[in-house]
Amino acid sequence: MSNIVEAKSLRKNYGNFTALDGVDLTVPRGAISGLIGPNGAGKTTTLKALIGLCDVDGELSVAGRDPRIARHKLMEDVCFVADVGILPKWLKVSQVIDYVEAVHPRFDRKKAEKFLSTTDIPKNKRIKDLSKGMVTQLHLSLVMAIEVQLLVLDEPTLGLDIIYRKEFYDRLLNDFYDGNRTIIISTHQVEEIEALLSHLVFINKGKIVLDSLMSDLPDTYAEVIVDVDKVAQADALQPIYIRDLLGKKSYTFESVPREQLEVLGELHTPSVADLFVAKLKEEKNG
Amino acid sequence: MDKFAVLQFYGLLKREVLEHKNLFIGAPTVVALLILVATTWVATQIDQNQLAEGLRYVSILFDGLSPFDMAPFFMLVAIPFYLTLYVCSVIYLINTLYQDRKEMSILFWQSMPVSNFQTVLSKIVAIVLVAPIFYVLIIFAMYLIAMVWLTILGISNDVDLVGIGWMFLAAIASLVLIYISAFVTSLWLLPSIGWLLLFSAFAKKTPLLWAGGVFILVGFLEDFVFGTQYLANWVASRTSDPNQYLIFEFQSVFERIFNYDTLFGIVVGSILIAGAVFMRRFTD
Repeated sequence: MSNIVEAKSLRKNYGNFTALDGVDLTVPRGAISGLIGPNGAGKTTTLKALIGLCDVDGELSVAGRDPRIARHKLMEDVCFVADVGILPKWLKVSQVIDYVEAVHPRFDRKKAEKFLSTTDIPKNKRIKDLSKGMVTQLHLSLVMAIEVQLLVLDEPTLGLDIIYRKEFYDRLLNDFYDGNRTIIISTHQVEEIEALLSHLVFINKGKIVLDSLMSDLPDTYAEVIVDVDKVAQADALQPIYIRDLLGKKSYTFESVPREQLEVLGELHTPSVADLFVAKLKEEKNG
Repeated sequence: MDKFAVLQFYGLLKREVLEHKNLFIGAPTVVALLILVATTWVATQIDQNQLAEGLRYVSILFDGLSPFDMAPFFMLVAIPFYLTLYVCSVIYLINTLYQDRKEMSILFWQSMPVSNFQTVLSKIVAIVLVAPIFYVLIIFAMYLIAMVWLTILGISNDVDLVGIGWMFLAAIASLVLIYISAFVTSLWLLPSIGWLLLFSAFAKKTPLLWAGGVFILVGFLEDFVFGTQYLANWVASRTSDPNQYLIFEFQSVFERIFNYDTLFGIVVGSILIAGAVFMRRFTD
């Protein structure tokens, strides 16, 4: 499988603050990739770099182009949805459709109107008069009507209630994703997207701390609810993270053979959220 | 240029008009209404016989004369619109690349396959070529209302309507000259357009303060270091001569554009505009 994103040694400083500190990232074509990190980790800077909205040092190729020198060409193949604030508030719904139709060669107006007809969004209203959920629905309707290779989503469901969030991801999967298109999602709501992901990236303090296919995770990471009498044995296997769990201890291991872990207690693959915490704690503890 | 590129640019211009319709349409409409109200009020203060006599005199004055010879009369009537256009242009240019960064909608605009050059060019075309069209149309509408009123007044006072017809033709001729004047003046003021766009694209806050402040600073440094005031004098010579702003005859258009001073200004303006395009590249 070829990669739609290839980045090597991306660096970006804002004054004294290092936003990206040598980011290496590859995203396979057709993947649904989750970019997970705490606040200030460099998620938005990475995503903005991918679509040419932020100048970075290093090697970068997205859909075969360098976003820094060919953003407008790249955006024929890439769509971007940030949090709900970015649609111009002064535009009416019909006017934003007119605009995208005028400037985007791959926009299908009928498709967008079909998507919109399944929502309660009135076409004669200004965007400032829509609820946050409606603005997101509108943006998604526009994006889904564009024939692109890559969709970049930066906290797309921020501030939305659970119904809109669920609907957002359902529509994304059912109406946009076809197995060939690639989606990169950055979000804090890890649990909501875990089931969608085929590729996972953790970023912390401007560095990639994990870059893996979801299908490879069980081979590398394991979480064990360790029996009380086997704690010393578990400690000896150098876990990357230990947490207390209802009177027991949960150990997260990296690259330890499952046969060695099975004898310690109840074994399973950690959730993305648990793995995220584990990797960040590991980073913190060196 | 292919058909899509033309439609794309039309879409960009439409966006500018929709976003700034207060400056493009609202402001000249208010000026037109104020002039109509003021004229009506003045007319009510004058004795009807005197008014008819004045109309008869003006009708004779315009009768048979070339509309373009009489057009300057109406161009002077349009001066309030001209001043409004320039105030609105400054407001537009200083805010146009700043406002969308401030409200973060730049992420939406930049997520479309439109280059920064196209974006900046559309903004220049919008204010230099499109906005004056709206102004001219609104002035035309105002003249039309005035002509209807004068015609009714003429009929009811037995005034020769042919002269009023010539007057209307002169008014229309003035609209052509007003539009050309606005365009030529924009070329003359291209350095100012470039300067405002540059700081609109650059400033994180208060772009007008940046544009004014940096200009004053550069002028002060020139005076302090070299003891000269070339920059200040150059700008003053470009902004303080009212003759530069109005063109009363077609024959002077060529010489107004193709002279050393204007062409030098176009070069300086183009460099500043290129700077604005460069600054627009990244949103951070």
